[in-house]
Amino acid sequence: MEIKTTAVAGTLESSDIQIMISKGTNGIDIDLESEVKKTYGDQIKKVITDTLKAYGLENVKVKATDKGALDCVIKARTLAAAQRATETSDKPDLEVL
Amino acid sequence: MDKVVDLFLNNNSTKQKWEELLSSLGLHDFSEREVDVLDHTIGLENDEGNLVGTGSVAGNVLKYIGVKNDEGEQGARFNKVVTALSQYLTNEGIFHSFVFTKAKYAESFEHLHFNLLAKTDQAAFLENGTPDVTDFVAEIPKVEDQEHKKVAAIVMNANPFTLGHEHLVKRASEENDLVYVFVVANDVSLFSFDERFKLVQEGTKEFTNVKVVSGSDYMVSPATFPAYFLKSPDDLITVQTAIDAAVFKKQIAPALNITRRYIGKEPISRTTHYYNVSLAHELGPDIEVIVIDRLQKDDQIVTANKVRQLIKDGNLREINKFVPETTYKFIKKNMPELQSRIEKGMNINGN
Repeated sequence: MEIKTTAVAGTLESSDIQIMISKGTNGIDIDLESEVKKTYGDQIKKVITDTLKAYGLENVKVKATDKGALDCVIKARTLAAAQRATETSDKPDLEVL
Repeated sequence: MDKVVDLFLNNNSTKQKWEELLSSLGLHDFSEREVDVLDHTIGLENDEGNLVGTGSVAGNVLKYIGVKNDEGEQGARFNKVVTALSQYLTNEGIFHSFVFTKAKYAESFEHLHFNLLAKTDQAAFLENGTPDVTDFVAEIPKVEDQEHKKVAAIVMNANPFTLGHEHLVKRASEENDLVYVFVVANDVSLFSFDERFKLVQEGTKEFTNVKVVSGSDYMVSPATFPAYFLKSPDDLITVQTAIDAAVFKKQIAPALNITRRYIGKEPISRTTHYYNVSLAHELGPDIEVIVIDRLQKDDQIVTANKVRQLIKDGNLREINKFVPETTYKFIKKNMPELQSRIEKGMNINGN
């Protein structure tokens, strides 16, 4: 799967996460901002990485701004951003979830 | 639950409510310079339909963000306003945004993943999204073993590129191993960015150790610097200079091993003179500021301002004295177009 454009999904409101995805060159590179980064940073990054890999993306620059999102929310937002970035929103591959 | 609504400031009663809200939050500058450039404004209405928050976008810059925080969770309204603005920008295809704000609000933006580019006691400058300043400096061409070389920089608007600019570049080129010429990217000048950039490239071709690069959004120009959050409009130049210098010193110079900056001595424009003095103050001691005397032709100081006046007067022969061949050819070819831009109201007296 190829990233065609920069894309965003999610909001900055409580219990949500905003994911911005753009073309990368160096694997899945995640820049995460979260108040619970110390405790859950690794877990949040893992969910994002797994979701992107499952969607067939390997080189991605991710900016994630977490406001206390649960894993299911992180997955959903990452998937939505990935679909927008690859311009495949019209044929969603929901199996990934 | 607060509701996000679009605000249309051309409606007088909407504008009045908007100004009242911001005034109550300590923002008082609603001059045309600041308000006319806004592309979009959103508001936040509480259950009673009162305006409790707002934010605006001008190009890729967030402006006039203010929220009332009397009830509910701290920061919720602020986050909602910034979300709404960032969604608007995303829809417009803008993924990289900036904010200039009071220093004390820098942290609120940092919580939303804005990256602090520069901060003074009065103001802060932050960016969000991608590509960011790290990507910007990574893409600038470099030379081998650059960390051991003598590297200098010049920032110019070059509106247009004159023999004075050439003189400055020549000196820097002779005295250093590598020279970066940053061309200011804001399109508010008689010559468009593309035209200015091309003329600088052509005019410096003979200097092999000179690299011409776009200043992108990181050379903060007084023309576009928002001042609405400052205590007094008189602070504009001081604060803008300090922010501009801090971005250069902290974000640009270290990544490119720049240790010197060349500027032209300013005998005429008070703005530029003041800028030069405070620039030297802000950049030191890490970066040495070298002031070069202006080039003179026929007992006249060469300035781009003079060239613009001559374009207005259509005096090609006089122009030829002040600009290199490449710029002269361009002006000769595009004289009617340039003159029509001036006629349409392009200000040629600034920088």
